[in-house]
Amino acid sequence: MAFTSDVVDGEITHDGLTIRTYDSAPHRRGEDTIVLLHGTSGSAQSTYWALFPMLADGRRVVAFDFVDTDGATADTYADQARAVIAALCDGPVHLTGCSFGAVIAAHLAGTTPEIVKSLTLIAGWIKTDIHQHLRYDVWFKLHEEKSAAMPGFMVMTAFSHAFLTMRLPGEVDALVAKIGDGSDRYAKMVFNRTVDITDAVANITAPTLVIGCTQDQMVPIYHSKLLFGAIENARFAEVPSGHAVAHERPSHLLMLIRDFIDEPERDAPGTVHAPIHA
Amino acid sequence: MNIQTTTPKQQVDAEVLIVGTGFSGLGLAVILEREGNRDYLMLERGQDVGGTWRDNHYPGAGCDVFSHLYSYSFRPNPNWSRTYSKQPEILKYLQDTAEDEGIYPKVRFGTTVTRAEWIEAEDLWQVETTTGTYRARALVSATGHLSDLAMPDIEGLDSFTGKMMHSSQWDHDYDYTGKRVGIIGTGASSIQIAPEIAPDVSHLTVFQRTAPYIVPRRDAPYSEAQKGMFARFPEMLQDFRKELFWGNESRFPQRLQIPAFLAQIEEMSRGHLEDQVADPALREKLTPPYSVGCKRILISNDYYPAIQRENVTLETTGIDRIDETGVVLTDGTHVALDMLILATGFEATELPIAEVIHGKTGRLSDQWQDGGQAYACTTVHGYPNFFMMLGPNTGLGAGSMIYMVETQIEYIRGALQYLFEGDKVIEPDREAQAAYVKSIHDRAERTVWIAGGCQSWYLHPRSGKLTAIWPDYMSQFRKENGTFATKGYMVRDATVPA
Repeated sequence: MAFTSDVVDGEITHDGLTIRTYDSAPHRRGEDTIVLLHGTSGSAQSTYWALFPMLADGRRVVAFDFVDTDGATADTYADQARAVIAALCDGPVHLTGCSFGAVIAAHLAGTTPEIVKSLTLIAGWIKTDIHQHLRYDVWFKLHEEKSAAMPGFMVMTAFSHAFLTMRLPGEVDALVAKIGDGSDRYAKMVFNRTVDITDAVANITAPTLVIGCTQDQMVPIYHSKLLFGAIENARFAEVPSGHAVAHERPSHLLMLIRDFIDEPERDAPGTVHAPIHA
Repeated sequence: MNIQTTTPKQQVDAEVLIVGTGFSGLGLAVILEREGNRDYLMLERGQDVGGTWRDNHYPGAGCDVFSHLYSYSFRPNPNWSRTYSKQPEILKYLQDTAEDEGIYPKVRFGTTVTRAEWIEAEDLWQVETTTGTYRARALVSATGHLSDLAMPDIEGLDSFTGKMMHSSQWDHDYDYTGKRVGIIGTGASSIQIAPEIAPDVSHLTVFQRTAPYIVPRRDAPYSEAQKGMFARFPEMLQDFRKELFWGNESRFPQRLQIPAFLAQIEEMSRGHLEDQVADPALREKLTPPYSVGCKRILISNDYYPAIQRENVTLETTGIDRIDETGVVLTDGTHVALDMLILATGFEATELPIAEVIHGKTGRLSDQWQDGGQAYACTTVHGYPNFFMMLGPNTGLGAGSMIYMVETQIEYIRGALQYLFEGDKVIEPDREAQAAYVKSIHDRAERTVWIAGGCQSWYLHPRSGKLTAIWPDYMSQFRKENGTFATKGYMVRDATVPA
């Protein structure tokens, strides 16, 4: 399904790879642009089905599908993002990444700061730790065995207790049925085991918003707090959600991102946002 | 002569008059009472607090918003009995609020406002009522969207000799058991009433003009353990409230007709219809002819089953007129009735209170010929020190009105503090108001209410403008209208000290 009724799908070629791109408003390419880097689940659509059109209501948004290659590193993935930005954007962009996409966004911002106007890191991390390794071990075991338990395991670890318990049983079944067997995320899971962007993160200078999820079982909020600790020019907000925050609370993310991008330097570095009162 | 030295302070009965004691007026009073700095009085035409929840007690009356969200954040109630409470429990909550917070002594009951006028020479509002005159420095209208009923414009309505009642004026002395009953309208009230009375009547005819979208009602009682948890961990209740809030907030993109969000809600309502209605012809009749969200999306698990009872007819042939004994359809068929229920809603686009409010530029309803307009959705040029709660563009398609109410409470609280601490008179600048209203109407253009191809009570009948609904996220409403600031206002010193 198209993100919006007037999104323009395209392709660019980079290093012999064809990268699919999505542009909400090509006629506004001179304006501030939000570039979205998707998560491990494999496509811009699967991470940003909600957030892309919500952000595109008022702003130009560009997204693309990462292409997996053998032995991919943070820099080879970041190169794809740089190529898309060079092809579709004039001037520095508002770079937003979620999960795996946050890792790549942070790496990019630390290595090519000149193309980043602001940086939003949602449920990202700096260096894979032993807790994540335990989950990856289970995941790869289920994948190897082509286990029927894989979809349920992924849903259970991705979504928060609060989100799942407010759904009807049939709706949770539908989530499990839809998430697939995980093979579409295998290559990025291999990469995720090896993440260490410590050096790049130390060089981030762009105004940054770090968003951590309080119920995240895949990348516990500890990692977002580490990012906030590592990036001098960062603000911090937390969202009560699981790792799948882009599905659970897209409107909450929208408010945080819109507000930040409007004026990235408005809140002083080190600001921790108060929880939003309902 | 200096008027300041000759006008005695007793000229006013209170600093602030609040008209209405429903969710909005009562909530403002609670905050002013707790703050303890404001001298206020409340005028109420009824005999108790509760507003729409006092008046709407028809069989099955309840709220379509989760109770933990449809209540004050500053008065959480761990003991809500179920997800969606019924009217008696909501009214009790409001009565308890008024009692516990010491509001009752501040209310003048049985007091209908007949004329409120700004007296420029004295910088005060003079309010004529059925029980006398009140004078105050500031006036707050908190009379709500759903307070004055709308009657259908059908020939012969008055000639009906059986029992006729509007849903908001239910006569519980009338026994509908074994009667032939008709109900006009298929909105929120009707779909609550029909399942409730259908088992008792001899026959029920539901007269439908336009089928509504209906989705499942996820309704369950709270366990004692849940209530105990909410009582002992208030933060768990607030977290739950936030979860509900953001769930609603994430439905607004449906109103922007974003494809993925539309697909979700369309699938949900179509699935519900297919689960509950097997007959293809009936399904066809129950399928709405407009874009989802253009009118209010209803939630019910028992309406479709009620429609399929042996003793219930869904009548989709139009109504031609009403005669002494029943309803005559456009095909000439006569439906004989003992009782006719008008579930036809309220005057939400042209708020009746506007007809009695007179500012520097005349009657508010005259200013609002083409639909309500207000700065920050709360104040009006030409009407100094006047605040309107749930006025123009404050309604919601998906969400809790209490969030809007609390946003306005904080705005008005801040404005009153500014007025009385500095002895000021304020009114929005004409241009600032026009620019703000334009920004709302520009936003409305991209929503389903304008672009969705349906006539709804959200649209102003003459101008076609979206005047009842806030066409953006609720969070955005709070961001724009949640904190009073003097930007956009003409400010001057009051001639009479407070």
